[in-house]
Amino acid sequence: MILLTMLFTFFKIGLFSFGGGYAILAMIRQEVVIHHAWITEAEFVQVVAISQMTPGPIAINAATFIGYQKAGVLGSLICTFGVILPSLIIMLIITMSYLKLKKLPWFQQIFKRLRLLSVGLIAAALIMIMGNAVRDWYSVAIFAVCFAATWRYKLNPFTMLILAAVFGMVFGSA
Amino acid sequence: MLIRIFLTFLKIGAFTIGGGYAMIPLIKREVCTRHGWITEEEFLDGLAAAQSCPGPIAVNISIYTGYHVRGKAGMLLALFGTILPSTVSIIIIAILFRQYAEQTLVKRAFTALNPAVVALIAVPLIQMAKKSGLNAKNAWFPLAIALAVGLLNVSPVYLILLTIAFAVYETRR
Repeated sequence: MILLTMLFTFFKIGLFSFGGGYAILAMIRQEVVIHHAWITEAEFVQVVAISQMTPGPIAINAATFIGYQKAGVLGSLICTFGVILPSLIIMLIITMSYLKLKKLPWFQQIFKRLRLLSVGLIAAALIMIMGNAVRDWYSVAIFAVCFAATWRYKLNPFTMLILAAVFGMVFGSA
Repeated sequence: MLIRIFLTFLKIGAFTIGGGYAMIPLIKREVCTRHGWITEEEFLDGLAAAQSCPGPIAVNISIYTGYHVRGKAGMLLALFGTILPSTVSIIIIAILFRQYAEQTLVKRAFTALNPAVVALIAVPLIQMAKKSGLNAKNAWFPLAIALAVGLLNVSPVYLILLTIAFAVYETRR
């Protein structure tokens, strides 16, 4: 039964994840942390960190990881299948008719509005994670350095996370 | 041909760490320049469609390209190739993580990884805001969305449906 719920939940996440990567996080958290309580807030931040250090899109990585946590390898396959199924169906339809659709004013307007919405959703993900991840001077300093490194000096996210992990192992207190 | 499609997307899936947007230049090089499966214009149309549709962009664009190259079979193989590396690597990590999550070293690593993740999200937020046509007049909208979802835990589902309905209403008016 839980497998069916997981399939349906990740189908819903896939269906309502507009704007790619980071905008999906708000949707995942809403379902997995708030609604079903399959993982905790702290684990959610870990999932995001792990997703960014491994190959592939965040949504797939998060689905696989959470699926495994809850129901082993079968769970991870079911969640992954659930999250990509909407893409498969909708992209197939769109691929066959995109050139006609993109000329329609209402179609363009929907995506203009959804782009702004995605900005809001990424900001929401930021607010949610911030409370859990930045709470003392040590974490504020790490945030500031990481932000400057990726924003100003274009350090890629993977390298940044590896450096942060090593730094934490040496200077952090468990 | 089908094997080539699968292997190409397997490579794309395996070598793009950081997800989504990081994959796009690599996909373009492989399918347009290297294999010449689709033209650059077709790719850009596909990219626009992939960004508009729900789901991960890399997954969407692989579905689009696979379908263009070799119909439904091409589509499924491209998709399978793209997600296989992430699924396999995450399962391995999840198994290891369960055993080592309580280790002091892992816990220490996360003391720095957690704030680093916040920075990781803050940077694309600014980039997306610039590209989305954000201005003083419409800034209330993403701000309201952020507060509703981030603080009040409103489900994005309702907000997305409302946004779509409003956009259609605006154009029909």
